[in-house]
Amino acid sequence: MNTAQKLVEQIKARQIKPRPKWYFITLEWAIWLGFAFTVFLGALAFSIILFTIQQVDFQLLQHLQHSWLEGLLSLLPLIWIGFLTLALLLSMYTLRYAERGYKFTFFHLVGYSAALSIMLGTIFFISGGAQELERAFAIRVDLYQSVQEKKEQIWSLPQAGYLGGTIMAVTPEAFELEDFEGKKWSIDYGQADWPPRIQLVPGERIKLRGEQTSASAFSATFIRPWGGQLMNARQPQMKPKE
Amino acid sequence: MLITSKICDELTDQEAVARALQEVDYFSCLYQRYEPALLRYVQRITGVNHAGAEDILQDAFIKIWRNLRAYNPKMKLSSWMYRIVHNEAVSTLRKQSSYGKHKTVDWAAAEPVLLRTLLSEVEAADEGPVSAAQLHLWINQLSRKYREVVLLRYFEELDYEAISDILEIPEGTVATRLNRARKALEKTATAPNPKK
Repeated sequence: MNTAQKLVEQIKARQIKPRPKWYFITLEWAIWLGFAFTVFLGALAFSIILFTIQQVDFQLLQHLQHSWLEGLLSLLPLIWIGFLTLALLLSMYTLRYAERGYKFTFFHLVGYSAALSIMLGTIFFISGGAQELERAFAIRVDLYQSVQEKKEQIWSLPQAGYLGGTIMAVTPEAFELEDFEGKKWSIDYGQADWPPRIQLVPGERIKLRGEQTSASAFSATFIRPWGGQLMNARQPQMKPKE
Repeated sequence: MLITSKICDELTDQEAVARALQEVDYFSCLYQRYEPALLRYVQRITGVNHAGAEDILQDAFIKIWRNLRAYNPKMKLSSWMYRIVHNEAVSTLRKQSSYGKHKTVDWAAAEPVLLRTLLSEVEAADEGPVSAAQLHLWINQLSRKYREVVLLRYFEELDYEAISDILEIPEGTVATRLNRARKALEKTATAPNPKK
């Protein structure tokens, strides 16, 4: 009996059967599903990063007392950047172990995984899902500070010249603003600059740069929409400055 | 049922796989066809003796049998089998913590055409001719990842695509490793007192 025959006899004696085809198909599908899932997670993380970047007022960073980098880092969603990195690594790993995945170079693996996450994430961001997801996450996770919360903190420093809130009433010389802690402010906007898209109407959320003139009075030098939310659809009661 | 060499010779690789899945005896055709090359490869990569290499090959063939339905005909059957055998050889020796410590490979029969190319490349960098035995010694001194590609390319005479399929690395990486391995061999050859 030659070695080949011995091998066959051994297979027969030990009753070794080839694994069924469905086993390998399932394995392959599991890998591709794993890849799709990690790309999807990466896309969600990327969409929230886009949302955060949209919310960061880069002009503001120049005025912050801390350094530009420090300010940027305090505003950047590091948790989401970490999440995106992890999802990217996992998607690269799953793609590497997919059928013929070893043919991809490191740059291909990074490129395909990142491109898919970026594409899907951008679509999700444009559709408005990122804001909803971020809000839902902030509600459910106590330790997580949402983008809005961070932003509100920055725009609650009237002594430093930053104030944000909701317009409660408007007169030709001043309007009343309720800040995020519910405090009422009288805002002098006689010298303020604001873009035509802003509607100074009750209910509108805005942010102001200027100077605190008394305990509850603030003189605005510029007014900007709060951003990240739909603007109030009502007709303007006043015309912006030319 | 005894499958004769004559019956096996008439079957292509794909036909032999299909027949084996219907009747296990046909699996012997694959073993007969690839045993010499794979056994030689196991010995070269591990440095174990003939009996040791046969044990590794037997275990590898059991794995090939178990996973026969995973074989994708888009790849050469030989590459797929080499891959399993390679992984089995590396895994066996890792378990024994003796990988790369064997220097008892019998190279006598190994003088394929491509090896002469490698010899001439290394010779070109040196003053005098390099003997095949000396080159074999230097190859054994290469780290595993470089030794693997050198063995597959110059001793098994496989193309880059096949090496890529066996080692599961991109073809570009195969080329890079081969290049670095050649440079390492040249460096050893041009050193004042190359290790012998």
